[in-house]
Amino acid sequence: MISIRNIYKRYHNHHGSDWVLKDISIDIPTGVSVGLLGRNGAGKSTLLRIIGGMDTPDRGEIIRDCSVSWPIGISGGFQGSMTGRQNVKFVARVHGSGKDIDRIINFVEEFAEIGKAFDEPVKTYSSGMRSRLSFGLSLAFDFDVFLSDEATSVGDRAFKEKATKAFKDRVGQAGLIIVSHAEAILKDLCQAGIWLDEGKAYWFDDINEAISAYHESTDKQTVKAK
Amino acid sequence: MLSPRTPWQVTRAVWHALFMREALARTTSNRMAWFWMLLEPIALVAMMVGIRSVISSGQHNIGGVHFIPWLICGLFSFFLFRENMIRSIGAVSAYKGLFSYRQVKPIDPVFIRCYLEGMLKSFIFMLFIIVGLLLEIDLFPAEPLEALFVWLLLWMLGLGAGLTLSVLSDLVPEIGKIINLTSMPLILISSVMIPLNYLPHQIQRYLILNPIVHGVESLRVCFFDSYRAINGISIVYLSIWALGLVSLGLLLHLRFAVRLKAQ
Repeated sequence: MISIRNIYKRYHNHHGSDWVLKDISIDIPTGVSVGLLGRNGAGKSTLLRIIGGMDTPDRGEIIRDCSVSWPIGISGGFQGSMTGRQNVKFVARVHGSGKDIDRIINFVEEFAEIGKAFDEPVKTYSSGMRSRLSFGLSLAFDFDVFLSDEATSVGDRAFKEKATKAFKDRVGQAGLIIVSHAEAILKDLCQAGIWLDEGKAYWFDDINEAISAYHESTDKQTVKAK
Repeated sequence: MLSPRTPWQVTRAVWHALFMREALARTTSNRMAWFWMLLEPIALVAMMVGIRSVISSGQHNIGGVHFIPWLICGLFSFFLFRENMIRSIGAVSAYKGLFSYRQVKPIDPVFIRCYLEGMLKSFIFMLFIIVGLLLEIDLFPAEPLEALFVWLLLWMLGLGAGLTLSVLSDLVPEIGKIINLTSMPLILISSVMIPLNYLPHQIQRYLILNPIVHGVESLRVCFFDSYRAINGISIVYLSIWALGLVSLGLLLHLRFAVRLKAQ
């Protein structure tokens, strides 16, 4: 269970600072896959980062009773001067894998399929190779809840297929919180949904209801604009 | 699932990961990194001894001690402090990419770099002492335990400066540049190459406020039985600075942890 309690978040800029997230309280049960919906700038990625602990809320707190991954396919997360293998080893060590390190390295090496580049510094990687590595790294750990920010849209055709399949296998065993604009993927992977609108969050037990609520709100806006 | 860990277990795992990474980077960063690690201090000492023997023109004793061990002692204690400070300044920005894992805090790389630096410097200093014994240069501490304590205090002073400046230089990048500029002249006024009492009396009063002077001179007192240090040297003064800076650094890291992690 991930409990989000009265979370506020804003970013300071030159034009004042409105709340991106305003008094959000939601409980996300483990084992349920949740899709995050909302227009651009509604705070989806922010909320995901806060859940993952990469960002801290200005007020409120997060209680994680389970292991939570970092967002899959984040652009950072690697150190350029280290090789792919060293980066994987580092992350495995940080997560206290102990004797499991070799298994994790082998898994990532096989999954990423980047061949000899695995022993080259990450800064020499193309963006595709980078996301292959980071995707494989995320799936190497047995997290209770995986976080994903448009992760399934990486890589070439063959890899995408493989990634989606591995992703679905994982989701069967663990929970998933995913941000995506591809509604087909959301319908495919998620049961429940959270719709973010004007700093508020709305929980839907059915992802289809969340999608239609999101559609209604955008339709209203376009009508208003006309 | 991953088994839940206590905060201490998480911290230890992070330190282990960072230490392995940092140690590897230091020893394999370029060809013969190990060799350079040894050659650098040797070359530095040789250079300083050369300069010193030209200037001093025949006067080989400082405060009753031959100037070569005197200089080696001073250089090592100064560089222990300086390297801790300088390496810490870059530590936070060097690990920005890895802060996306919530377990890694900005303070961790600073600790690890200072720890590694302390170990390396101690190891090389010990090599110098052993070689000194073999060559019958008087470089063995007369008071080994006290010397160890002062060495530790100097390390802590560097750690404190590193912790404090790593935060400040990340928030205000200019500070890092200024520190880099001022750290070279610092060697001249820290009693490393030139004893303080060779300098005009009016400015001595102010130079004695510098805690590095207290560390450098205290270490020499522990090393050489017959050494006459300048007046007013106090280990307590050094300890207060070291503790004060470490506390200030920890406070700053606590206060600005979120802002250091962001960006």
